[in-house]
Amino acid sequence: MSGKKTYPICFDGLFRQNIVLTSGLVTAPIIVAATTAERAAVLSLSFFMISYLTILICRVIPRRLVYTVRIILYALVASVVFIPTALLLELLFPETAMSVMLYIEIIVVNSLVLAKTESRFYLIPFSSMAIDSLVYIAGYAIVAFAVGIIRELLTYGTLFGFYVGSAIMPAAKSPFFGFFLVGLFAAACRAYYNRRRERETAEPELIRKEAEE
Amino acid sequence: MEIITAIISAAMVSIFVQNAIFERAFGSNVTIYASRKESHISGFTIGITAMTTVASAITYFLDSALLPLEFGWLLMPVIYVAIISILYISALLFLWRLFPKVFARVKKYAHLAIFNCTVIGALFLNSNYGSDIWSYIGYGLGTGIGFFLACLLLNIAHEKLDSDKIPKAFRGYPIMLVYIGVISLAFYALVGYTVDF
Repeated sequence: MSGKKTYPICFDGLFRQNIVLTSGLVTAPIIVAATTAERAAVLSLSFFMISYLTILICRVIPRRLVYTVRIILYALVASVVFIPTALLLELLFPETAMSVMLYIEIIVVNSLVLAKTESRFYLIPFSSMAIDSLVYIAGYAIVAFAVGIIRELLTYGTLFGFYVGSAIMPAAKSPFFGFFLVGLFAAACRAYYNRRRERETAEPELIRKEAEE
Repeated sequence: MEIITAIISAAMVSIFVQNAIFERAFGSNVTIYASRKESHISGFTIGITAMTTVASAITYFLDSALLPLEFGWLLMPVIYVAIISILYISALLFLWRLFPKVFARVKKYAHLAIFNCTVIGALFLNSNYGSDIWSYIGYGLGTGIGFFLACLLLNIAHEKLDSDKIPKAFRGYPIMLVYIGVISLAFYALVGYTVDF
């Protein structure tokens, strides 16, 4: 019998432990720059490429190195990965990529790479880590698209550039609206999981009471 | 006198017009974390201010060499991270040798104060808007002061925003974001326009 421990795929990173909605990590690009669906796509793609490749590459960095050195290496690897990412994005979305480049550049010091790797990803086997980190990045993309689509509809009355209706709230592209929107999403996510947890704890209690009766 | 004016005006822009937290959302999570304890506010502010000011002065010379190159902008993240890393190690060694008690206290969260969007974002903004070394230094200094202002405003409200009066789902992080949004709206009104990335 194999003594290897198996790790089931965990989808908590999508909503329950979403890095933006529950941990408040990497929020700046979404709050300020995700004002259209296309920008959300550019931000999600850049976040995926920089973070995912860095997480995979940095796995080989020995854990015996002190944390101070490891964190520097993570940031340096991410900033090297930024180079092909930026070139690819410039090729695919020349105008949009350049307009949000500041928020792509700061992804090199994002907390998914600098913190989550140490507290979660590098504590599990490579294959599980590869899927787990992908789930977290997908969770980020979901929020980016939700925020981008809502703001594009409100600000420009378009969706992916196609006319949908009149623009009813041009100020929705401002950072303050980004804060409001992400705050509301975070509260909605928390309310849903609070209610689900209450229901899960209440159900066995109800069954036990019925059995006693 | 001209130098002081240049530093102060760049710092004012960085604090009020392009506040790293309220206008750019750089390091919102670090601000929320630091604002919970008063001791954290001073520690984080000193770390971020020292880092943005010193790193800004260094990057001025590198920007002058890199920006004229066609693909110079691609190398900027690597160079900025390298500068921050060197300063981070130097600061840790300095504290370890001269102030061991302070080092023991701050080593747990020093990386949070250094490797965050506020610090690296300030360097990138400097490369876009800075004109001379004094404006670079002023902008870096102003970023740290702007961070302190944000922490202070969040710290004042922290107790109330975490109280029973706030609906359970909003308590803590979500209401903090809404609160930052309200202050951001006030800054938006104060300046009269919003930054265009």
